[in-house]
Amino acid sequence: MSNGFNTASSRGLACCHLCLKLVRQDSHLCPRCGTAVHQRKANSLERTLALIVTASLLYIPANLLPIMITTSLGEVTESTIIGGVLLLVDMGSIAIALVIFFASVVIPLTKMAVIYYLCWSVKRGRLGTARQRTLLYRMVEFIGKWSMIDVFVVAILVALINWSGLLMVRPGPAALAFAGVVILSMIAAESFDPRLMWDLEPPAEQPNKKPVERPVVKFVVKPDVKPGQEFESE
Amino acid sequence: MDQRHDFPGYLACQSCDSMFDVSRLRDGDTASCSRCGGFLTRYVADQFVQVVAIAIAALVLLALGCSYPFMTLNLNGLESGMTLPQVALSLIAHRMPLLSISVAAFIIVIPAVVLILVIALAGAIALERHFDWLRPVGRLIFTLQSWSMVEVFFLGVLVSLVKISGIAMVEMGFAFWAYAVFSFLFLLAVTGLDRAQCWHQIEQLSQHE
Ligand SMILES: [Zn+2]
Ligand SMILES: [Zn+2]
Repeated sequence: MSNGFNTASSRGLACCHLCLKLVRQDSHLCPRCGTAVHQRKANSLERTLALIVTASLLYIPANLLPIMITTSLGEVTESTIIGGVLLLVDMGSIAIALVIFFASVVIPLTKMAVIYYLCWSVKRGRLGTARQRTLLYRMVEFIGKWSMIDVFVVAILVALINWSGLLMVRPGPAALAFAGVVILSMIAAESFDPRLMWDLEPPAEQPNKKPVERPVVKFVVKPDVKPGQEFESE
Repeated sequence: MDQRHDFPGYLACQSCDSMFDVSRLRDGDTASCSRCGGFLTRYVADQFVQVVAIAIAALVLLALGCSYPFMTLNLNGLESGMTLPQVALSLIAHRMPLLSISVAAFIIVIPAVVLILVIALAGAIALERHFDWLRPVGRLIFTLQSWSMVEVFFLGVLVSLVKISGIAMVEMGFAFWAYAVFSFLFLLAVTGLDRAQCWHQIEQLSQHE
């Protein structure tokens, strides 16, 4: 784990995931916030894989079952996620159709594929640099919750369109399954520890390393420095 | 530099574990990792006072957003309206209690709890008072905050507007506007509370006890 690079673990320290305090590796509880300290997230790969496999399996009924059931003058129409997207295209709302398609199909599938890939990259070969894969991880972590849009849309339509006999919208079982997919893959992303990818990096890329690096500091509100300017202070 | 907000010496990057000396940040500085680009911390001298003010405003708007009509539909004279809690509650009537609880949690309950806790914690830090509950409250805030989906719900509202506009006339109620401003303020309050600085302050207060 320690490969000569300037990491907390190579200095015998562990970082509390909740309050960011650096503590000695043999501590069990963080002295500052009281949470359990692990040098790397506990059983990160196993937990992440178990969660993402469950999410992938749940994604199948989420797409096959109806997400919304509309009753109009006694006539019942069941629509799946894809059906809803196609209906929006028929209505001419291409932009909204794209939003739903992205949120419900592209984002969850991308997210699952990326998490599988990241787990594999820790175990096996490494395509791309650790920095690129960390960016991928951050992206996936950020976009995950946007998949919930379709579930919220269904909930809003159910609450709003409620004239029994005339026009009524009911939630379908896929709404619950899909919410499960989103929640499980959010927990999966949270369980993955990107530091595992960096632990595999070859030792010290730069020679003459100072004992502890200074971070990149962006001077955001200082008028005398150009915005976005980056430099190593000191 | 403001002595009370004197910053802790070292931080490790959450993505790549590299260690950094962040002791000499000035007001408004954002420090990020030079190895992987990850965010480390942002130093704002009077952040806790600002956060309390924003969080109180957000909480008031959420309360208003829950108690006034959110949207009203008009289909050839037939009216139908809903409030924010009804978005979650109407799912119970369709025997989907789990989904109902999740929706309520993501758009109302978690944001409200986070705001109340943020007001208490940032308020105590701003007043330099130590309480025994600071640690558990801090743990709850930083555990719960990634589970709020106010901005996602807001996009969902806009999408449903377009979906319905083909069927019926839609009118946005007062609560819609309250929730719109609330979601913006909520994000401001949550991102304004810097994790590393917040815990450093809690530690300092407990030591001065
Ligand atoms: Zn801690
Ligand atoms: Zn880093």
